[in-house]
Amino acid sequence: MRRSSQRNHRRLWVAKGLFLALFLAVGGRAFQLQVLQGDKLMRLGQRQHLKEWIVLPKRGALIDRAGEPLALSMESQSVYIRPHRIQEADKVSHHLAEILRLRAAEVRQKIASEKPFVWIKRQVSSPEAEKIQALNLDGIGMYYEPNRHYPQGQLAGQLIGFVGRDSEGLEGLELKYNDYIRGETGSSVTERDALGRRVLVEGIGGLQIPPGSDIHLTLDTSIQHMAEKELEASVLKYRAKAGVAIVVEPRTGEVLALANYPSFDPNNYTKLTAEQRRNRAVTDSFEPGSTFKTILAAAALDEEIVGKEDLFYCEMGKYPFAGKIIHDTHPYGWLSFAKILQVSSNIGFTKIAEKVKKERYFKYIEKFGFGKVTGIDVPGEVPGLVRRPEGWSGIDLATHAFGQGISTTPLQMVMAYAAIANGGFLMRPYVTRRVLSPRGEVLLENQPQVVRRVISEKNSKLLAAMLRDVTNEGGTGTMANIEGFEVAGKTGTAQKADTIHGGYSKKRVGSFVGFVPANDPRLVALVLIDEPEAQVYGGVVAAPVFRNIAQGALRRLAVAPEKATPVSATAKQMDSTTPRMVKRIEAHAPSHIDADAVPSFIGLSFRGALEKAQTLKVKVRLQGNGYVVKQAPAAGGRWTDEQTVVLNLQG
Amino acid sequence: MATAVSVPARKVATVKRERAVRSTASRWRLFLGIFLGLALIGAVLVHVWLRLQVVRMGYVLSTTSKLQTRLEQENRELKVELATLTSPDRLEALARQRLGLIAPEKGQIVVLP
Repeated sequence: MRRSSQRNHRRLWVAKGLFLALFLAVGGRAFQLQVLQGDKLMRLGQRQHLKEWIVLPKRGALIDRAGEPLALSMESQSVYIRPHRIQEADKVSHHLAEILRLRAAEVRQKIASEKPFVWIKRQVSSPEAEKIQALNLDGIGMYYEPNRHYPQGQLAGQLIGFVGRDSEGLEGLELKYNDYIRGETGSSVTERDALGRRVLVEGIGGLQIPPGSDIHLTLDTSIQHMAEKELEASVLKYRAKAGVAIVVEPRTGEVLALANYPSFDPNNYTKLTAEQRRNRAVTDSFEPGSTFKTILAAAALDEEIVGKEDLFYCEMGKYPFAGKIIHDTHPYGWLSFAKILQVSSNIGFTKIAEKVKKERYFKYIEKFGFGKVTGIDVPGEVPGLVRRPEGWSGIDLATHAFGQGISTTPLQMVMAYAAIANGGFLMRPYVTRRVLSPRGEVLLENQPQVVRRVISEKNSKLLAAMLRDVTNEGGTGTMANIEGFEVAGKTGTAQKADTIHGGYSKKRVGSFVGFVPANDPRLVALVLIDEPEAQVYGGVVAAPVFRNIAQGALRRLAVAPEKATPVSATAKQMDSTTPRMVKRIEAHAPSHIDADAVPSFIGLSFRGALEKAQTLKVKVRLQGNGYVVKQAPAAGGRWTDEQTVVLNLQG
Repeated sequence: MATAVSVPARKVATVKRERAVRSTASRWRLFLGIFLGLALIGAVLVHVWLRLQVVRMGYVLSTTSKLQTRLEQENRELKVELATLTSPDRLEALARQRLGLIAPEKGQIVVLP
């Protein structure tokens, strides 16, 4: 019994020793793995089951005042290779060249590269990307990259600018607001399984990087489109070199349109020259010519040196001044100040300048903002060239009077006219209303900003009335007239300086700048045609462009004409365009109108009913669309207290 | 030589009672041990289950996140397409060429009284 007990005891010790040895072995191995090789093994493990995901920045959008997008970002794929991992170079280069429409030799050369990573083609189309993925070859990879799209094409191209391949703004508003629009790049380390699939056990917090902010512009896509289209038509018609058109809201300084020709499509920025990409409205300065006479007129009125009806003798077209002869295009005798502005007499303005004197004139040139940048939120603005009066020679007083020897940007000029239009305040122009973060916070907001008062309200009204005569019969800008509206403005035809031989060349700049409606301006616009050949006068090459742009813009801004167009004329004119409608109106029109009884509108179209209501001066309320099927009160009945006919339309 | 020891009946009863108490206590200890063991196994199983759930949800989240990214991309593409199709340039060309529309002539715009 004792022997058996001893055996058991021994066995127990053997078992204990065995377990202890095993435990020590496991413990030792654990120590080796966890402590001695822990860091290295952890790194190896993490390399297998952790992966860093790069979240690309999402650039914000550029949006016009009505919410139309002008620039949007998407992700597109780019193809790269890791040359050392490519097995059959010839086969791969053949496939890649075929799918991506590249030269096989070029691809073959890239595959032969010593570099570990080579781009084959950036930003490929979706079908191309799918075909590449279908190849499923080792050493070829796809990389998602942000891609900028300008859905409106060339619309406001120079103003918007463009971004480079790496999603950085390079020109225009894309550059100016790059810090706001860009968005952040983020990265997140997540686990992945044996098949390489992402397993987001830690949640998606790290992958949610806020996109860039959206820029809300003051531009109106429709007005911008009209401005570009009309500008292009005129530039081509008169075989000009370039053109600029700007439309601004005079009370706020908001830019509604800023068009340049030659146009520029930011989607293809690499194919165009720097010349085409230039935003001439702010980067180029021109000798303004006669449009600048308005500045002298403002100075003369505001300093109360000259009255509207004061007479000046215009020397029948030839006036010797400071050793030179000043000419007028037509010989004039005695003219009132208002008439001098209307016919744009150089001699008349030289005589006014003599009265104003150069110091006072210069004071107004400065007050109107010439010689200094306007402060618009567009990169590349130049201040123009204005010399101080101390440096003026004898003739300079005369040349400055009719806008020579001084250079201004088109934007400065339009803002000066805006000051006359809005009652005398020089406003800071702006194209960005606000910058909104993805969470809807306002990060930046531009409010109308008065730079200074330039002239009194009374004198601005007086000057506006004088400028109205320019577009009336006998003025130089009659082609700017818009039916139903009073237009105030000024034409300009400036000679261009000859930079090689000195003096002036035969090249001209024709321009028109004005505002409408003259007594309550809703918009001020400038049109400048650079080096027109077929015709050179601003009143011919630029004024009609102004008219067409302003007409369309007023329609867009829903500004009703001041002078109503008689309906009879309408019906007559509509005859050729909409005969069906006119016939229908005639069929149902009563032969005579009883003044006391409610007239019949039954059977009339929407337009027909409105026209009839307008003719009879009857208030109507229209419900529905199509043709009038019912009216209350009924035709021939008595009027209710409201004096309004309710018309129900159907069909 | 064996000596008979007489044990009083009362003492025997006490011993029996003590034994019974001891066996009840050990039974309780056994139950407690089993209970703790089962609780531990249960906790481990719950932990494993939770871990599996986290991984499963990780997969679901990954798939959903991928879907979200794809839909966002699709949304951006559609926005670009919509904006391209409704660009004033294209609309004007279509209105003029396909529909034969023209800009309203003077008088064709009626201002409401």
